[in-house]
Amino acid sequence: MTAAIRYLPLLLIAVAWETASQLQLVSTLALPPLSDVAVAWWDLLKSGELVTNGIASLWRAGAGLFLSIIIGASVGIAMAWWRPAQIVMGPLVEAMYPMPKSALIPVTVIWLGFGDGSKILLILLGCMLPIAVGAYNGARGSDQALVWTARSMGASRLRMLWDVVVPSATPELLNGIRTALALSFILLVSSELIVARSGLGYLIGSLGSNGSYDAMYAVVLTVAFIGFAADRLFQIFQNRMLRWQQ
Amino acid sequence: MRRVSRKETTATMTDQPQIVVDKVSHVYRPPNGRPVLALEDISLDIRPREFLALLGPSGCGKSTLLYLIGGFIPIETGTISVGGKAVTKPGPDRGIVFQHFALFPWKTVRDNVLYGLEKTGLPRAEREKTARHFINLVGLTGFEDSYPSQLSGGMKQRTALARTLAIDPDILLMDEPFGALDAQTRHLMQMELLNIWQSRPKTVIFVTHDVQEAVYLADRIAVMSARPGRIKTIVDNNLDRKDPNLFKSQAFAERVDDIWNLVREEAMKMQGARTS
Amino acid sequence: MATMSGAQLTDTARPTLLSRAGWLLAHAGSIIALAIAWELFARSGAVTPFQLPTLSSVLVRIWNDAMSGALWLNAGVTLYRALAGFAIAAVVGIVLGMAMTRIAIVRWFFDPIVSVGFPMPKVAFLPVIILWLGVYDASKITMIVVDAAFPVITATIVGIQSVDKYLIWSARNLGASNREMLWQIMLPAAMPQILTGLQVALPIALILAVFTEMVMGGYGLGGAMMSASRFADSRGVFAGILEIAVLGYVLVKGMAILRRRLLMWHQEAMAPSTV
Repeated sequence: MTAAIRYLPLLLIAVAWETASQLQLVSTLALPPLSDVAVAWWDLLKSGELVTNGIASLWRAGAGLFLSIIIGASVGIAMAWWRPAQIVMGPLVEAMYPMPKSALIPVTVIWLGFGDGSKILLILLGCMLPIAVGAYNGARGSDQALVWTARSMGASRLRMLWDVVVPSATPELLNGIRTALALSFILLVSSELIVARSGLGYLIGSLGSNGSYDAMYAVVLTVAFIGFAADRLFQIFQNRMLRWQQ
Repeated sequence: MRRVSRKETTATMTDQPQIVVDKVSHVYRPPNGRPVLALEDISLDIRPREFLALLGPSGCGKSTLLYLIGGFIPIETGTISVGGKAVTKPGPDRGIVFQHFALFPWKTVRDNVLYGLEKTGLPRAEREKTARHFINLVGLTGFEDSYPSQLSGGMKQRTALARTLAIDPDILLMDEPFGALDAQTRHLMQMELLNIWQSRPKTVIFVTHDVQEAVYLADRIAVMSARPGRIKTIVDNNLDRKDPNLFKSQAFAERVDDIWNLVREEAMKMQGARTS
Repeated sequence: MATMSGAQLTDTARPTLLSRAGWLLAHAGSIIALAIAWELFARSGAVTPFQLPTLSSVLVRIWNDAMSGALWLNAGVTLYRALAGFAIAAVVGIVLGMAMTRIAIVRWFFDPIVSVGFPMPKVAFLPVIILWLGVYDASKITMIVVDAAFPVITATIVGIQSVDKYLIWSARNLGASNREMLWQIMLPAAMPQILTGLQVALPIALILAVFTEMVMGGYGLGGAMMSASRFADSRGVFAGILEIAVLGYVLVKGMAILRRRLLMWHQEAMAPSTV
């Protein structure tokens, strides 16, 4: 019940949208009625356009994110665990932070063209950073007492890494992944809007140039929703993981 | 509730109480938990310019009573009146000093002290003069331009005291003001407070859990019971507080002992309640 | 009453000159190493000059652009859009955040918008914004505001809600009215948190300024990069990356310095050596 009240404003906005458009209070070209958008969405679904492009997009984001988690987490934990790694990579990571990742879009195209590869590379490069930082902060916070206890029980350094450091780094690491998740969608959509020939971002662009604005709105809302839903699902996963720890 | 009869009166006390607390109870309602009766049926008269200590174990509700008198928490049961008028909200007539100083960290010592003065509508030169006076009074000359983060605990509390004194409240509410300070600083601050109070007497309600502190500072000591807080006893504390050797005197030790026995019982009840 | 001498305030928290220099050296060292690696790798023949032009040629390109004035024009335009969007996002974010903490209706209405909107790739709405506002500065700046306002709103809300209750009670006690409470007490008290939100919003503003320029073309560092990309001018593309990176670094650093100035009362958390 309370969830309904909480999200009621969104419903009100939807109603206002439909009314304003139907009553021609705003240009129906710039703001087609929500009902038209819904119909267009259904058409896109039936024709398969939504699904094909959706799969292309999700594949790119998934692959890029997966790689960035593996590499980013390794780098972060390595930096926390081995001093030389931290000295070498630390300033590099810090220097890359204020670098706007979207600026890398043209470069990835130079290297890998207009297809999947450039998008995956972009997401990998962009998402690696928050994950590495999360893993680093998390691993650094490992309870010293836990580490020494494991040591005294004869655990090798590698074993300790796995048994103590990784689990205690998990909360921060998960936060880093959550940030990276949102970032991956942003980078995906950004690159698909300008340098792609398939995918949801591309679809938005091409529908826009065709003048099929109701379909364009439909895909925009779909993309926005996917980003929102992915974050919520991840939160549930995150809470599940942390409860295990407790 | 037993009242100990008055043996002596200190000079310039009239018979009309300044603050009347009448049958006040308070229920504490935590956001996720069961409501708890914090204060039960408290009735108390406080005379003008007297120094009253509210003494009791931690958790007995003494701070809550202070906040009710101050108007920071709404009064649900019973009434509290100050100078004949009912208390509904905070006001500069009842100045408060908190345990953790509550200084505005982005303001200097001077600006903190000036803050309350801005509301008085006095001309600027007057306000600055008053602020300077009170900063000197608490011994912080030279630190007017320091920020709270640069001050020690004792200095912060002195700033808080100056800030409250500057608005010249009739009543001073003090919530374990020296609780966050180390023992030596605490002792120095107690002496200073007594000096300030003796030179400009105000009504002071002083919350503490420290028996020695209460006996050293107060005219009367209201001993509170364990939760739900009630007034267990009110003790007239007629020791000569101008005596610099008061601390070492036999009378002082005996008084502390008597009161400690009263408090100890309640302290143990609170302990028991907490571990159960 | 014993008084303290001011000379005893010591500065234990600020890093020593030596450690500062060491840190700077490590940073510079890493960058230099990276630069050398780039140059060597580009010359090695493992990649074509198209895929990775030498750092030296890229720097020459940047120099030429600086001389011709193109660099300043593009950087200036991008900077203008980023800062304009940032400023508007800051004002909108802080005002809306404050309103959300004080007025129940406002909180009720905007809460789902903020919480649902936060994780969304709001850049997906760019085509819609272009549809409404055309392809000039208005749409670019609007996109920036939409994206950059979110961290400011949440930071403001968190900052104001976490103001110490005793601070508020003291202010009430000293006679503060509701309006004074909000502007004189809660806003300054929430400032550290709000500034953190602004520090997050600034890079976002820059990224979006660059990206919207890529989408719409024209002047600006993003537009220049897209043209370079279209003309297979890889030196231009890499030059753009460096220029944007430097701009980003300068802005972030500038913001950090501003923060230190504004919060000097906060940062100096040092106790004197004697009590």
